[in-house]
Amino acid sequence: MLKINEIHKSFGKNEILKGVDLTIDKGDVVVILGPSGSGKTTLLRCINFLEKADSGMATFGELQVNLHDASKKDIHTIRQKTAFVFQNYNLFNNKNALENVTEGLVIGRKIHKTKATDIGKKALDKVGLSDKYNSYPSQLSGGQQQRVGIARAVALNPDIILFDEPTSALDPELVGEVLTVMKNIANEGTTMLVVTHEMSFAKDVANRVIFMDGGVVVEEGTPHDIFISPKEERTKKFLKRVLPEDYTFYI
Amino acid sequence: MSEGLNYTFLIDTFFIALSGVPITLLVTVVALLIALPLGFLLALTRINQVPVLNWFSRIYVSFVRGTPIIIQIFIVYASVPLILSLFFERYNININVYDINPIWYAFIVFSFSTTAILIEVFRSALSTVNKGQLEAAQSVGLSNLQAYLRIVIPQALVVALPNICTATVNLIKATSLGYAMSLQEITLKAKVAANVGYNYVEAYIDIFLVYIILCSLVEYGFKLYEKRLRRYKYVSA
Amino acid sequence: MHNMEKYFDVSYIWNSLPILLPFLKVTFVVAGLSMIFGSFFGLILAMMKLGKSKIAQKLANFYITILRCTPSIVLLFLVYYGVPALADNFGLYLHDLNTAVFVVITFTLQFAAIMAEVIRSAYESIEKGQFEAAVSVGLSPFQAYRRIIFPQALVVALPNFGNGLIALLQEGSLAYTIGLIDIVGKANLIIAANYNTHALEIFIALALVYWILSILIEKFFGKLEKVFSKGKHTINTN
Repeated sequence: MLKINEIHKSFGKNEILKGVDLTIDKGDVVVILGPSGSGKTTLLRCINFLEKADSGMATFGELQVNLHDASKKDIHTIRQKTAFVFQNYNLFNNKNALENVTEGLVIGRKIHKTKATDIGKKALDKVGLSDKYNSYPSQLSGGQQQRVGIARAVALNPDIILFDEPTSALDPELVGEVLTVMKNIANEGTTMLVVTHEMSFAKDVANRVIFMDGGVVVEEGTPHDIFISPKEERTKKFLKRVLPEDYTFYI
Repeated sequence: MSEGLNYTFLIDTFFIALSGVPITLLVTVVALLIALPLGFLLALTRINQVPVLNWFSRIYVSFVRGTPIIIQIFIVYASVPLILSLFFERYNININVYDINPIWYAFIVFSFSTTAILIEVFRSALSTVNKGQLEAAQSVGLSNLQAYLRIVIPQALVVALPNICTATVNLIKATSLGYAMSLQEITLKAKVAANVGYNYVEAYIDIFLVYIILCSLVEYGFKLYEKRLRRYKYVSA
Repeated sequence: MHNMEKYFDVSYIWNSLPILLPFLKVTFVVAGLSMIFGSFFGLILAMMKLGKSKIAQKLANFYITILRCTPSIVLLFLVYYGVPALADNFGLYLHDLNTAVFVVITFTLQFAAIMAEVIRSAYESIEKGQFEAAVSVGLSPFQAYRRIIFPQALVVALPNFGNGLIALLQEGSLAYTIGLIDIVGKANLIIAANYNTHALEIFIALALVYWILSILIEKFFGKLEKVFSKGKHTINTN
């Protein structure tokens, strides 16, 4: 459904992505792991044109676009098919929770307001915020804000949702509520591409795990492949550093 | 004027305008010397909510910020001679108020307005310095005065400096209104020179240039000083 | 002070007010036009500053610095004498133009420089993520600015805009020097008609008018900020 070929991106002299390929099928939950600075976030942002790649192709169903010089129309089309969940939530500060969710529906997709409100309420109910329709972002906790962020993405009913480290800005005690919500929508069959440091999520929810380092994909496979029997030295080193000593025994 | 600019006049008058700089600077410096400490003290009365002075400072600041400087000048220039002449009359002092050099009025007006501006500048700067800084200074045995002098003021100054710079530039600009008191500063000198041959365009170009040079230099000077003061911020970063 | 009222008579203050106040109209029209044109021109300058072109940035910065360093009265006369002289070169005769036009040009130029900084800092205070989130849910860049960035930047800009407006009104008090009969111009006419006696009372009346106006503008913008700042109520903790 989504195919990325040979994507390159540099910031100044610093080459962040050195030719990354990626294929995602409908219903996939793909988790990208890797040390900070490995290019995971940049990859995600390039797919949604929040960064302009230096080169690379994206195939989205029938639509094929150049990631470097896509037309405004193509960018718009791809953004309509995707949704993005940000690390620091990026809720619209001037809109309440419900308006945050309906904004893209009403303005971006020209859906009638009554219908959009209906969809928006359902999305907020799904993330457990039925009592917060009218709350502004400044009145919500970090975990609640991120759940609105997820509802905003889900409401668009996109072909794929891109998650950029959705829990890393949260206090530890708030991480759980967000992961639970993510797990629920994954179980509904939503296609997801998730950059995260939450190993438990990768292990329990993903059907494919990609390990990135230094701007390239080092290894990819099922959670079992990656966590139990990693082939590459770099993968082993990374896992050893981020997982407790005897973690693998529990898998 | 359709013959274009009179360049000889333009150059000559530039130096006449320049000869007004010392008066402009004198007024600026005197006003700052009075306004800086006074503004700081009154800012403290605002922060510490000193009963009567607090209210006085508020009304004072509101008045200065709420009225054009030219009208403040009009008022001082109309009232001070009146008060003085009554005073002299009463105590039989033999001074003619109209012989007083206008620069004294300039000192009064510009100190008056700059003090009010600086009260606000210092008040907001002081409120940015964490209260814990004062408490910590006192906890290691500094007196209140020492704590302010050595810990609070140096930090507040860094915050206040850009605004003090703006206030200084505005003060220099405001002295151009000294003409209303016949103060022999940049604007008046060049204007008088232009009266002879109606070379107003040239005169105002000169005045314009002198102010730009003067204010740019002041801004540059403040930037250098700010860099020096900011050192402690870099070390901690 | 036995003969104080020979010099100072409070009744002059009250009596001059009804004569002065109608001339506020002129003051308002001139300030209002300068505000509209200046805001527009300031927006262009801010866009130049925020844009990618280095030349445009330099140009805008140069303009703002120059204007910041020029006293209003100097700018006023420079425009008053300079614009017609410049127009002569193009065969235009502008010496008989209404003085109000020169006043509006002057304060448009000045207000634009102020607004450029107000708009720029307001825009920069909005995190980049707001724009990114807006386009990620399918808004076009223009819709993102219109619906998400602008309403938030407006709230940030309002107090500074109010201060700019107060400054504009006050600097505008110099327009009398080129012969505009606004409230200050009228005050000077009254004083001249009184053979320069009781000038102090008239000036105090003027000061009162400006003082009250400034306070009203400040209060108005305070209220406006409250109205527009939905979603902000728990952020303002100071």
